[in-house]
Order: sequence, then structure tokens, then C-alpha cells
Amino acid sequence: MALAGTSRTYCLNARNARSLQGILPSFLTRSFSTTNNEPHEECDVVIVGGGPAGLSLAGALGTLNFGRKDIVLVWTETVKGSSRSARENLRITLVEGGDLSKVREWSPPLGTYSNRVVSLTNTSQSFLKDMGAGSHVDTQRTAPIEEMQVWDGVSDARITFSASEIGLSRPHEGMARLTEILNLQRGLLHHLDTLPTVQLLEKTKVSSIIRDAESSGGWPLVHLDNGRILRARLLVGADGFNSPVRAYAQIPSFGWSYDTQGIVATMVHPPRGAFQGPNTTAYQRFLPTGPIAFLPLSPTASSLVWSTRPHIAAALTKSEPAVLASMINAAFRLPELSLRYLYDRLIEAHAAGTPLTAAQLQSEIQWRESSHGIDPNSAYASASVRAVADTAAGVPAADSEMVPPLVTSLQPGTVATFPLRFNHTESYIGEGAGSRTVLVGDAAHTVHPLAGQGLNMGLADVECLTRCIEDALEKGGDVGSYTALLPYAQERYFENHTLMGTVDKLHKLYTTTSEPIVWARSVGVEVLNEFDSVKAALMMTAGARDHKVDPTAAGWNMAAKGVEGLAASVNTAKLIGGGLGGMVGAGLQSLLKTALSTRPPPPASGH
Amino acid sequence: MRLTNVVRTLHRQLHSPANNGTINASEIAHFSRLSSKWWDEQGEFAFLHRMNPVRVQFVQDKLLEVSREHEGEEAPLKRGLRGLHVLDVGCGGGLLSESLARLGANTLGIDASESNIKIAQLHASADPKLEHLSYLNAPAESLLSSSKQYDVVCSMEVLEHVDNPATFLSTCAELVKPGGHLFLSTISRSPLAYFLTIFLAEDVLRKVSRGTHTYSKFIKPTELVSFFQKHHSPPDGVVDLRYLEHATLSRPWISPDTSPTSPPRNEAEVRGLIYHPLKAKWLLAPRDAWAATDCNYIFWVRKPFQ
Repeated sequence: MALAGTSRTYCLNARNARSLQGILPSFLTRSFSTTNNEPHEECDVVIVGGGPAGLSLAGALGTLNFGRKDIVLVWTETVKGSSRSARENLRITLVEGGDLSKVREWSPPLGTYSNRVVSLTNTSQSFLKDMGAGSHVDTQRTAPIEEMQVWDGVSDARITFSASEIGLSRPHEGMARLTEILNLQRGLLHHLDTLPTVQLLEKTKVSSIIRDAESSGGWPLVHLDNGRILRARLLVGADGFNSPVRAYAQIPSFGWSYDTQGIVATMVHPPRGAFQGPNTTAYQRFLPTGPIAFLPLSPTASSLVWSTRPHIAAALTKSEPAVLASMINAAFRLPELSLRYLYDRLIEAHAAGTPLTAAQLQSEIQWRESSHGIDPNSAYASASVRAVADTAAGVPAADSEMVPPLVTSLQPGTVATFPLRFNHTESYIGEGAGSRTVLVGDAAHTVHPLAGQGLNMGLADVECLTRCIEDALEKGGDVGSYTALLPYAQERYFENHTLMGTVDKLHKLYTTTSEPIVWARSVGVEVLNEFDSVKAALMMTAGARDHKVDPTAAGWNMAAKGVEGLAASVNTAKLIGGGLGGMVGAGLQSLLKTALSTRPPPPASGH
Repeated sequence: MRLTNVVRTLHRQLHSPANNGTINASEIAHFSRLSSKWWDEQGEFAFLHRMNPVRVQFVQDKLLEVSREHEGEEAPLKRGLRGLHVLDVGCGGGLLSESLARLGANTLGIDASESNIKIAQLHASADPKLEHLSYLNAPAESLLSSSKQYDVVCSMEVLEHVDNPATFLSTCAELVKPGGHLFLSTISRSPLAYFLTIFLAEDVLRKVSRGTHTYSKFIKPTELVSFFQKHHSPPDGVVDLRYLEHATLSRPWISPDTSPTSPPRNEAEVRGLIYHPLKAKWLLAPRDAWAATDCNYIFWVRKPFQ
């Protein structure tokens, strides 16, 4: 949503309106309004932003207009039915500056994948299915994640998560489903096409947002670049990190940029051999420079999300694709010390104007492997991709499940980088001069992608906001009112904050090589691996939450406590410097106690 | 229908001790001073804003329950409030009136304070969806002369502010159509109510302006039930005044031989409204929950058909 140079306009307006309120009785300010008489369209909900959050909100609200199909109880249906006519009038408008027809008509060549992917949690999938958008998402292009391997890049301490372990009702569907964001967006658009009550204004930019006169209720007036003016009962900011709606609502936000860039790419690799499982395991290695993740999309394609220091990211993405592919293989396998050496070689070579060739890099890797004593037939060897690719057809190496398949190439045009941020607004609801506004998705929060939760958080926001709006409608409430929106903020703010804090602490915890800290965290990780409840809680990070079996609140708190305990022991370790005093042990003990005390009682049928 | 009016007036005089008005001048002045704050959802009236959805829910649930009782479980989906004529007595800034109108009721909000009505009108004028809503600056008594009766009469958080509550109740009752519904919400006269609504809300937390509530004006739910156990609607049509005393009055609204603590569910119901401080929302207490009606409560009673 571009909003060039207009921020001053609405700030001034809001301030003027406010200062007038103080001096004059509110009905007198009417004469100061010039916007009052301009022709405008009345809308119940104006959504700014056509990303996944905005589109899914439009879809969910549009579906409300028809009433739910899946209400089981007759009595409930009658109650819903009684207010159905009230719902039919809900006027929803979505404004998007970009051209959505490209998304609507997106049809990538078979076997190629977009580089922007999301692991949709079961909760997110259920939400999409319930609103009727699930069937519009092409499942042929998605893949279940049935297992996750997460390990410490320095100590190699490892946790394995699997869908069958955590008691999901449908473990074969995985703990999450990897989906291209374009596939999701396209599905949502096709769903919207079936909902005539939603007005979609694409290739239309918001030029300014101005508050209507106090005497006219002070509702937001959304001025569009085509001259139309939308008067919004509720204005939803689904307009991303630089949200113009947030600026209008004067909601402050706090946050920081990580000294980290994310590299994404679509990786091509041979299929897993006959003796191996399918390509349904996600891998994530926590390196001191940031985590690197391998997310399976199909038997021969997977998605990369590699967070690393900006200068390393620059050297990696400037290299030829074959070099990046080799570096990806190495980053999942080589000891951390050798990786640091390889980064330096890459950066030096770039600085000298003679970038490393793929052959040079492979010989470097081969030398590092032999000096570490890595068996060339081991899955940890990546110097010669072809040799290993051949063995894939035969008997795989014994440790082949420990690391992802070897990447043979990168899909052309899929390498990209983006900055990593942490950002959270102080509130999700506008007040006073910014009333009748609400923020969802990235407009409200931006989180480190290491847990792949950003988009899922946005969908959870949308699900909750839809529920609040439905509830308000059923009770004759004003969906733009603070009273109607308050439950949304109450439910989502704390949950998002806990998740974001946990993810942020995980990032900080793992981007260090200090020995006591590495020791503490790897003992922590290995201890955690033994405690199912804590592990299940940590899996929330990866989004395995089963829809409507709601261990959420407890689960997230447990996850938060676990990480908190680990972080505390790390702080202690920092205090005592090089030595491993009893305090680290104490920190871990408290972590264990937390784990034990929060462990849920065993199921009745248990042993 | 002058004669009917005479009968009504007579009836009123028989029914309650003298006096005509229920309006308390100082109460009206108090709320007029606060009128500009009606729609500040985080200010003086925040509690009322949050209570509103629960009140509306109760009204809807009760209407649904009654329509099911009449038409059976197989009855076509009832339209709820849609198309009903609803009167909101003491509407204040119009919090309840707007919600009822949005649900499709032809709503009239009345209030004795002129500034309240002005605020309510101004606020409703900003909302394009409130076509079926109108306001009138008038006391409830003044509507009796028009002989119009309503499907539903609501008077929420008003009873504790009026003089002569018995007269006020009779007036509200007369404005209900036979078979129609009367909804009231108010505060019970109990130590708990004093502690929460006056001591805590007004004196300690200062969430509510001092002087908003007067303990002695609070009314217990059993007193409301008892009132309607004795309350007969005046006879309809022309009655020979000479025989008025001997005329068979319609049956009382609530069967007199039942306990005032648990009236028959198809005649009346009392439910507690409880504020949950952590969730910052009001909850409708389950039926017969212990002590739930010791503070805020909502009351429903149905007018007999004859």
C-alpha cells in the first residue's frame, strides 16, 4: 500500500480534530469539516491490504454473510439464523494497490515452486477449510511436514519432533503443511470470487485517511486514488509492516532490526531413495549466525530459509548459484568452525574481485571434510554431489536421515533476501482520534521467521477478529466500536507477545558460541528432548497445534517458561564467565522443575 | 378512547399511593451533566457498554424461548427482534436502543433528560444502519395517553434512579401489549451491592461518578417478583365504572402462589449479571446460581394475554 507523502495530512487532521474537541462542544466542530459534504460510500468493514491476512479476513467475513454451513446443533442454528438477516447487510470492501489478477491467474510450470512459502499450522488449515477457502488451495503443490529435526550447530545436540508423537488426531496429515504463499493467496482470491458481498478494489491505492467530523461520529474516511471515498464503520489495517492504517490510528510500535538477513530459494534435489522415508522431514540447524531451514515441498523440491549475517548473505547471494547450493549443503553438515572459514573465503574472494567458482569451493569443502575425518560415503559428506546422488539409488548411508537430501541446484530466479525484524505495536485497536481501526497480521506484529509463525499469527488474528465481529453482530453491536473489538485485543495480544518473545529469545540464545552457553543450551535441548510435554510445547513454535484440541494457552506458557529457564541459565553463564559454576546447574534444575510441574497428567489409558 | 384513559388513571391511583411522576429532578440533572460521556466507551459508562451485549443476549434468548414454547421446536426460524415494536424507557445515550434497532426492532428510545436524547440522536445520526430508531424526550407516563402498546418494553439500569418505583413499574407494564415482554435490569439492595456499586465503583476506584447510585433506591429481585404477583393489567375496553371494584381483573402477571425467589419460568425470570474483572466483561449467571442476583441483575416478565 503506497501512501506517498500523505502521512502528514492525516496526522494534522487528527490533531486538529482533537484540539478542537477540547475547546468547543463537539457539535460545533461540524462547520470545520470539509469532508462531510463530499459524496462517500458507506462500508461496514474496509480492509486495507490484499495479502494473506487481508484476503482471508474478507473471505471469512464474506462467509459470515451466508451463515455457517457446519453448525451441528439445531438450537445454535436457530440462534444464528435469527441474526442472519442482520449479517446479510455487512458491506465489506478490500482495497489493494497491487494487481491481483497476476495472483489470480498464477500458474507456474510443473515442478517449479515460488520461493515464498509458509508452513501452515493445523489451526490455520482448519480455519481456511471452515471458511470454504481450503478447497481453492491447490493441495498438489503443498506438502505435509511429518517430522522435524532441529539441532544445535555448535554442539550438535538434537531434538526430533514427529507428528505421530504428539497425539494429533490425524498424524498422517503432518504437524503443518508447507504451502507457497502465492498458492494460498490465489486460493483465497478464488474463494472471494464466490462471495458477491465482498467488494474487491484492486490496483487502487489509499491516498489518505481522514477522520470524519466529530458530529458525524468521527468515522474514518478512506480516500482512494481514483477519487472515491469510503466511510468505514471499521477500518482494518492488513497493510503490512509500514501500515498506513496504523499511522492514521496513531498506534505506536516498538521493535528492532536483527543484524540478520534471510535468504530464500527453491532447492532442487534427487528424491529420497527406496529405503528412506518420503521427503516430509523439515530440517533446521541453529548456527551462530542464525538458523538455516530446509522445508520440503515435493519429492524433488524444497524451500530454503537461511538467516545469517548481512555480509555473509551478500557474499552468498552474489556468488553463482552452484556455489550457493554447495554452501547450503555444507551449512547443514560441516562443523561450525569450517563454515566460518568458508564464509571468510567467500567474502575475501569477492573483495578481491575473483569470486570462488563452484569447483574451487568443492575442493575447499573436500579438504575440510577430510581434515574433520568425515567419511566420503557418509551423509555428512557433500563435496561431491554426484557421487552421493548415485548412492541415493542404492543403499543410503546409515546417517542419511540426520541431514536433508543434497541440493543439486537452485531453481533459477528464486534466490532472494529480506531483512529480519522484530516489531510489535502497543495496541491492536485504535482509540480516540484513531477509533474504529484495528490491526491484523504484519501491521500489528513482525516476528523472526525461525519458527515460521508470522503468517500463522496473522491468520489466527483474522480468525479471532471474525469471531468478535460475528459476536457483535449477533448482539446488535457496532462492529467498529471499542467494546466489540476489545475481546480481539485481549485474546490475541498476549498470545502473540508470548510467541514473539519466545522466538526472539530462541534467536538470541542460539546466536552465540560462548562455551558455557553452548553447553547450557545443548544440555537444555537434550534434556528437553526427553520431556514430552515440554517438547510438545516447543513444537508449537513449529505450528503443530491441533485444531480445537486446545492445549495452546498452557502449551505456549510452557514453551515460554522452558525457553525462559534456558535463557536464565545462559545469563547466569554469562555472569560467571568461562567457569561452569553450580548456578548453571541450578538454572537447568529450575528448568527441569518447570518441566515436571507443568507436565500434564498422563492419559487415563496410559501405563 | 377517553373512557379507557379514565380507567387507566383510576387504576393507577388504586394501584399505588398518590403521586403522578416518577421522574427525580436531581437524577435527571446528574445524568444530563454526564450526557456527553455516554459514548466514551472507556470512560464513565464503560461498564454499561460492556454490559450491553449480555443484556441484548438475554432479551434475544428469552424471546426465542417463548416463541419455541408457542410454536414448538419445529417452528420456523424465528426472526428474533426483527419487526417487533420495542420501547426503551430511560434510554440514556441510546446504548441499548441502537443495538435493538440494529437487530431489526422498530425502536423508540425515551428519556426524561433532554441532553441525553440530543446525544443519542447525534450519535445515531452518524450510523447509516439505524433507520428504525427514533428518540423522544419524554417521561414514560406521557406515552400512556397515546394508547400505543409495545411488543417489548425495556428499561435497563433505570429503576434504581426513579421515584415511586411502583408507579414506574405500572406505567411500563401498561405500555406492554398483552402477551408482550417487559425487561428490567437494576441493582439489588444488599451489602454486596453497596460494596461493589457504591463503595468500590464510586468511592474507591472512582470508575463511576459519585452520587450515581443511592442505596435506598436499590430493589431486590424478590420485591420485583412480588410486585408482579400482585399486579393485574387493567381491563381492556369499556367498563362500567360503577362495577369496577367487582369487575374480574385479569390474572396477575406472575402466579401469586409461587415463591418470589423462583417464579415459574414461563412467567418471569431473574438472572444475575456478574462482572468478571480479569476478562473485563459481564457474564450472565446461570439460573439459580447462589447469590448471583445480589448485585446487578436482569428481570423478565411476560404480560398475560387476558
